[in-house]
Formats: sequence, structure tokens, C-alpha cells
Amino acid sequence: MGILERAATVAQSAELYQELREGVEVSFRGGEIEKVGAREVLGRALRVIVDGKLGFASTAGEEEESLVAAALASAEYGDPAPFSFPELKGDGAAAVLDEETLKVPPEELISWGEEAVRAVKEEFPDVIVDAHLWRGKVTVRLANTSGGELVEARSSLSMGLEAQWVREGDIYLVWVSRTVRRRGDLKPETLVAECLRYLRWGERVVPTPQGRPPVLFVPKGTLVLLLPLMLGFSGMSVVMGTSPLKDRLGERAFDPRFTLVDDGRLPYAPGTRSFDDEGVPTGRLPLAEEGVVKNFFYDLRAAALAGTGSTGSGLRGGLLRGTGFRSPPSPSLRNTVIQPGAGTLEELIAGMKEGLIVVDLLGLGQGNIQSGAFSNNVSTGFAVKDGRVIGRVKNTMIAGNVYEVLKDGLKEIGGEPEWVWGLAQVPPLLVEGVSVVAR
Amino acid sequence: MEANFEEALRKCPADYAEIRWEAVERSRVAFQRDQLLTLERSREAGGVVRALVDGAWGLAVFTAPDQIGEKLKEAAGLARAAARRVRDPIRLAEVPPVQDKFLPALENDFREIPLEEKRKLVEGYNKLILNHSPKIVSSSVRYTDSIRHVYYANTEGTYLEQRIPDVTVLLLAVAREDGDVQQAFETVGEAAGYELALGLEEKAEAVARRAVELLSAKPVQGGKYTVVLDQELAGVFIHEAFGHICEADFLLKNEPMRKVMQLGKRFGVEALNVVEDGFIPGRRGNAPYDDEGVPRRKIHLIKEGVLAGLMHSRATAAKTGMAPTGNARAVSWEHEPIVRMRNTYIEPGEASFEELLKGIDYGIYAKGAFGGQTEFEQFTFSAQYAYEIKGGELGEMLRDVVLTGNVFDTLRNIEQLGSDFQLKGGAGGCGKGGQSPLPVTDGAPHVRIRDVIIGGR
Repeated sequence: MGILERAATVAQSAELYQELREGVEVSFRGGEIEKVGAREVLGRALRVIVDGKLGFASTAGEEEESLVAAALASAEYGDPAPFSFPELKGDGAAAVLDEETLKVPPEELISWGEEAVRAVKEEFPDVIVDAHLWRGKVTVRLANTSGGELVEARSSLSMGLEAQWVREGDIYLVWVSRTVRRRGDLKPETLVAECLRYLRWGERVVPTPQGRPPVLFVPKGTLVLLLPLMLGFSGMSVVMGTSPLKDRLGERAFDPRFTLVDDGRLPYAPGTRSFDDEGVPTGRLPLAEEGVVKNFFYDLRAAALAGTGSTGSGLRGGLLRGTGFRSPPSPSLRNTVIQPGAGTLEELIAGMKEGLIVVDLLGLGQGNIQSGAFSNNVSTGFAVKDGRVIGRVKNTMIAGNVYEVLKDGLKEIGGEPEWVWGLAQVPPLLVEGVSVVAR
Repeated sequence: MEANFEEALRKCPADYAEIRWEAVERSRVAFQRDQLLTLERSREAGGVVRALVDGAWGLAVFTAPDQIGEKLKEAAGLARAAARRVRDPIRLAEVPPVQDKFLPALENDFREIPLEEKRKLVEGYNKLILNHSPKIVSSSVRYTDSIRHVYYANTEGTYLEQRIPDVTVLLLAVAREDGDVQQAFETVGEAAGYELALGLEEKAEAVARRAVELLSAKPVQGGKYTVVLDQELAGVFIHEAFGHICEADFLLKNEPMRKVMQLGKRFGVEALNVVEDGFIPGRRGNAPYDDEGVPRRKIHLIKEGVLAGLMHSRATAAKTGMAPTGNARAVSWEHEPIVRMRNTYIEPGEASFEELLKGIDYGIYAKGAFGGQTEFEQFTFSAQYAYEIKGGELGEMLRDVVLTGNVFDTLRNIEQLGSDFQLKGGAGGCGKGGQSPLPVTDGAPHVRIRDVIIGGR
């Protein structure tokens, strides 16, 4: 008898989630290969509803017996389940598996890393380069007693480069990374070019433009703006009353050029999946259209509490997809997409008289981001004068509120979006109304 | 277990190999407002094997216990693939093989407490927060406990069994007024029994009160200030800003950084002493043996203002000619050990709190840590809340206080150390190299620092 059947001898309904993570990772330290690792991890989570009460348990390894017992014990002291498990029906597959990705051998990952190190060191011989590459597959299998079973294998390939430039009285760190599902979408030379650009821009340290200068967030830097929105558009935050967007559906909360979509079906995008971790089909969900709040994203629980339906956004592992099978599902974004505007990054810079370019920040997510407030150290940032990057800034803090910045402070949206953090496809954003303080 | 390990290790075609298998027992209870989000008591098990071949590492992470032998061979094969490209081979510092069991008894073993009782406890704290004021709109109260049973063996004859307990509680309140949302939280966390989770009613009420107070607190004005950090924040500061750069793994193949971090170099004022200790009874940063089987050592990172030591794994110790310190830690069986902190603290000085405030015309007293992050010389950490210091006395409450700076400048700018030392575990942990949250303990007295940059509007 399987886990689900065994659970169903006591529970009125049950759901079994299984994920098998397999892959190979390669790490370079100081320009040299240090480690090659393999991973084959099976995780399971069981939810049961017994006499209307919800129970949950999770496990890794060979702990099937105790998984069923643990979930039933949890239900005994649990609360009434506000939802029931949906019938599992595949509604067509999303493009998530690339066989070419799965075929990449460790030796090839090593070669990509070596080539990237060589290219960076050719121009900057004193720079220390670390690199991390990963190729893997996660196979998710979901079954419940409402009927049906869903299985999907998803490939992923990622590469990250970190360059440290240590000079007398100055340590400069640049890191760039990309996560894709399809081998053809990972272009190591693009990452190298991005890394080199920031190294070149950063050769010289210059004074920070202070006060409230225009601030240009490159795609990677926009995470500071996205994090509060990820909370704000979460159906759970809305239900809990902690979202500043609560009761504002249909209201113009942002600049009319701002359109934000959570798209679970973009072919081969890093967050794409046919169904969420509760078996609800994914889709394209506009969150804000032309500045107007359109939708919030829900898992089964938040949807039930809000009296609406799940948007296929119930993921395990939280907003940033951390702990996988160990967490019960919660509302999370799949692929966050900000609709691009026009113009290249160079054109945006050329149009700035004086300003700050933000690439990386320290302390993301630390602080009262629920309210939209941010206050972060700019770990990688550059000063612009008369349309040109004149050098790198140090000891610089930016602060503001996302909801104000994206409503009244949006100057321009760039035309060249990039995938960042394996989470979002965003263009550069040029804004004002951000406070900049430096020593 | 021991015999199986020995057998598998003997057959592993590597210069060195090790096995770590962990069986974890844990329970969690989490409420968000009126929603019981998690109520769980579960077990899991998994392992990681590591092989060193010609100076390169291969490793394999797995969940099937009968595959240990196979996985060791796989790890050795991967190491061999990497070794062909290695110019500067990894070596391991020598440590004597050890056979030991570290299986401490718990005062009040949380495994004996029914899940129902844990639920009631958490629910009680949650109600205290929610009922405090109509302005409290939400809450988050979370209890976790776990015991890691760690079985470790390597090809040098070391065999260890360790039982590592951890208990944490998070109490968080969210207050809302008009469009403004503010939050406050407190955490506790130690290598303790269930007793740690009891009696937190006052803390629960305090966070609710503070969340409401923050609604009317002034946002801080950005600028450069003399600040007094409370013990918790000063502990996070020393962990984030200085601790991380004393982790010797990033010096391993980094000649320029090795020059920056020369032992004997002056980093701070004479009064400054920073300690890294592998074992303080009951603390969650404890690692009696690290995950390479190295026994704990207590070291000074800074002694009388001078860099006195770094944290090492066996590889970094060999590279720098130092002795391993027992700092190679893994967050779980899903990861290999890397150089991490354990219990890290600033030793107390002599000043009273009043003396620390004295002479500050306008400054900031920053309290409670939201978190922190470091990137070599740059660091940042956020205070939960703060107060103005005006003419040497505490003034109005402030919010949105995020401090930043250059660690080398900031250590030199430490003006005074308080006498009121405190160690704190917390409910989160440290993150590094994709491994989070690792239980650590930070500690410090109140610390006064000049010229700290605070972001703000």
C-alpha cells in the first residue's frame, strides 16, 4: 500500500507531494576548480484532513511509516482545513524540461568556468575569480485523494561569477549570475561581459551624488523594489491585513506605465511550471496593469480565506523558494515580469545629468519591507555625470518607499529586460525620490 | 553504523574520504494571526560523503542509506574529474583521529512534550499579541525544536556521534494605522530543552506594545552619527562586519586578501577583544566537534585591538600553516562543511550605560536586530527600533534605522565598551554559501561607535 492509501485509511482526504532533486555542481575558488558535487535528494510531504482538521508532515530519506503517522498526529491537534484538495487535472504541459541541459557533463561545466575565469583575468589579472555552476533536474510528483496524479520534471542550469578586486584600502566585489531551464539560454560570455563592464566602471572610486539624485536600478538592482511588492501582492498579506495594497483592487497605485505580471507559463523561464505545489494549474496573472492593481496571488488556503480561487501560486519553500518540501505551500510568485519600456541601458545613462546606478545592495529583505520601506547599503553602485559613468561609489545608503517611488517617482522604464535572481524578468528602472546618503 | 562506515570508507578510491549521516527529529508550530500554518512533528535522514583526490573535492548528497558505498565512489570519481585541472592542490591539516560520543541529556526533553502542548503554548503567546490593541492587525509566532543525530567517520579512523539540540521561538507583532504598517519581534534560541520556550508572556506583550509605538515613531534622518548599539545589535555587528572576514576559506586562494588579514595587524582600539568559542554550555552556536571531526577550540579573533586568529577548516589551516579551529560546519546533511562561526562575541568593557551616553550631543541608541549582511569591508545591519540621544539622554523613538560602514574604519571608531555583556542565540541563523540558517550565538556589551552612516529619508 502506498503512502497516500495508508493515510486514507484514517483520513478523509490526503495529498502527497514528492520532489526528487538531482544534479551536479561545480565550484571554482581563486580561479581554480575546487569541488564537484552530486546531489540526489528525495523529499516528501503529506497533508491529511481528518474529521475536517488539517495535518502536515514532511520527510527526507526512507521514513515512509513515520510520515503517515506524523501527518495523522498533526491533524489530531490541527485546525479546521479552510480548503479541500483539488482534483488533479493536467491542462497541458508548460515548457520546463530541456534534454540538452540534462546532458551537460561536469567536464563541460568545468570548461565554462575555466573559460570565464580566463576571460576575466585576461583583462584584470589581479582580480580573484570564484565561479559556481549547477546543472540539475527536479521531478515533482503530486497525488491526492480527490483523484489524479501530476508529474513534471523540470531542468535547470545556472552559472554565477564572483570577482574580487583587492587594492590598497579598497575591496571591490562584483557578482553576476543567471539561472535558466534551457541550455541554449545560458550564455557564459554574456555573464563575463556583464562582470567585465562592472569591473571597468568600478576601477575608480568617486564621490556619491547625495540628496535625491535620479537613481537607475539595473535589472539585478530592482530586487529591492520587488521584494516589498512580492509581499504586498501576496493574497496572504491581503487576508492578514498587512498589505498596503489591501482594499485597493482597481485603484491606480502605481505609475500608468507600470505593468507587473506573474507568469507561470513563460516557456523555459526559471519559475515556469504546469501546476503549483498543490496541483493547481498555473497561468498568466496580471498583478498591476498600467498602474492599476488587478490581482493578488493565492494558494489554496489564502484563496479560501479571501473567498476566491487559488491562482496556482501555492509553492513550497516560501517567496524565495528556500526550503522546498519541508514547508507547507504558501502564496509565491512564479515568474515576476515587469513590462519593459524603451531604450537601452546606455541610452538611459546618457540621459542622466547626474545620478546613481544601483547594481547590488546589502541587507535585502531586512527591515520593515511590508510597508514598502527600504534602506540599504549600495554594495555595487556607480556615479553618473553628464551622461557618463564616472566611477564606483562606496559607503552609500539608499532609502525610500517602493509604493511612493513606483507611483510618483518613475522616470523611465528601460527596453531591455533581463532575468535576475532566477525569479524575475525586469528592465532597468530610472526613478527619483530615493534618498542617497554617503560618508 | 560504525562498521558500515568503515567498510564503505575502506573501499573508497580516494586520498581521503568522509561520511556524515544525519537523522533529524524536529517539530514546528507556527501561527500567523488566526491561522495555524504549521503544526508538525517529523523525522528525516540523509547524508553527504566527501572525497579528496589529488587535491580536489568530490561530494555526493543523498537520502538512500544503502547507497553510502556507491555515493563514495561517485564522489571520488567527481573529485578525479576536477583534479585533472588543479594547479594548487587542497591539503588537509593533520588532526589526531578521535572516537567519541557527545550525547548530552536535555533538562526538559522537547521530544517528550506532546504536540498539543506546544500548540497551546504558541497559541497563548499569539493571543497575547493579537489582543494587545486594536491596532495589532497580524502576528507571527513560531516555535521550532530539533535534534540532529550526527554520525561521522573518515578514512583517518575518526568516528563520532553527536546529538545537537536546538530550540527557537519567534514572537512578531504587526501593527497598522491608516496606510502605515510596522512590526516588532523578539526571538530566543539555544541548545536547550523545552524550558527555553516557556514563560515568554512578557516578551509577547512587549513586541505588541512596541509595534504599536513604532506607528508613531519618527523615521530616522539619514546621516552620520555617534551611535550606541545595544548588546544584540553589537553582537550582530561583530558577527556580520568582522566575523565573516575572519573565516579563512575566502583567503584560501586569495593572496591579496591574505595580506589584508595579516595576524598581528591592528584592527581596533586597545580595549577591543573578540572571541570565537566552539562551546559555551547551552548555546546554539556550539559545535563540540565540527563536521570534519575536529574538536572545538576557543580562539581570539582580536586581542587588545590586534588580529589574533582566524577561523579554519582543515584545508584553510593547512594552507596558512595554522592549526584547525573546529569551525568547519555544515547546516545540514544536504551540505558539506565550510568555515563558519559558532559563538562569537565582543568581551565586555567597563562603562555603564549612562557613561556611554554621556557627551553625545545628538546621536542614536539603536536596539534589536532585524538582520545584517556583509561583503568583505562593507557591512550593513538593521535595528528594529532606536531612540534619539540628546545631550547625553535618551529622547524620542525612531524607526527605519539601518547602519552601514566600512568594517576597518568602524572598528577603529569604537569609542567605548559597556560592562553589561549578553549572549544571544535568536531564532534565525547565519547564511553563507547557500547554507542557511546555521545556528550561531552572538554576544557583546553595549558599544559606542562614532561616525556611523545611517540611511534614511
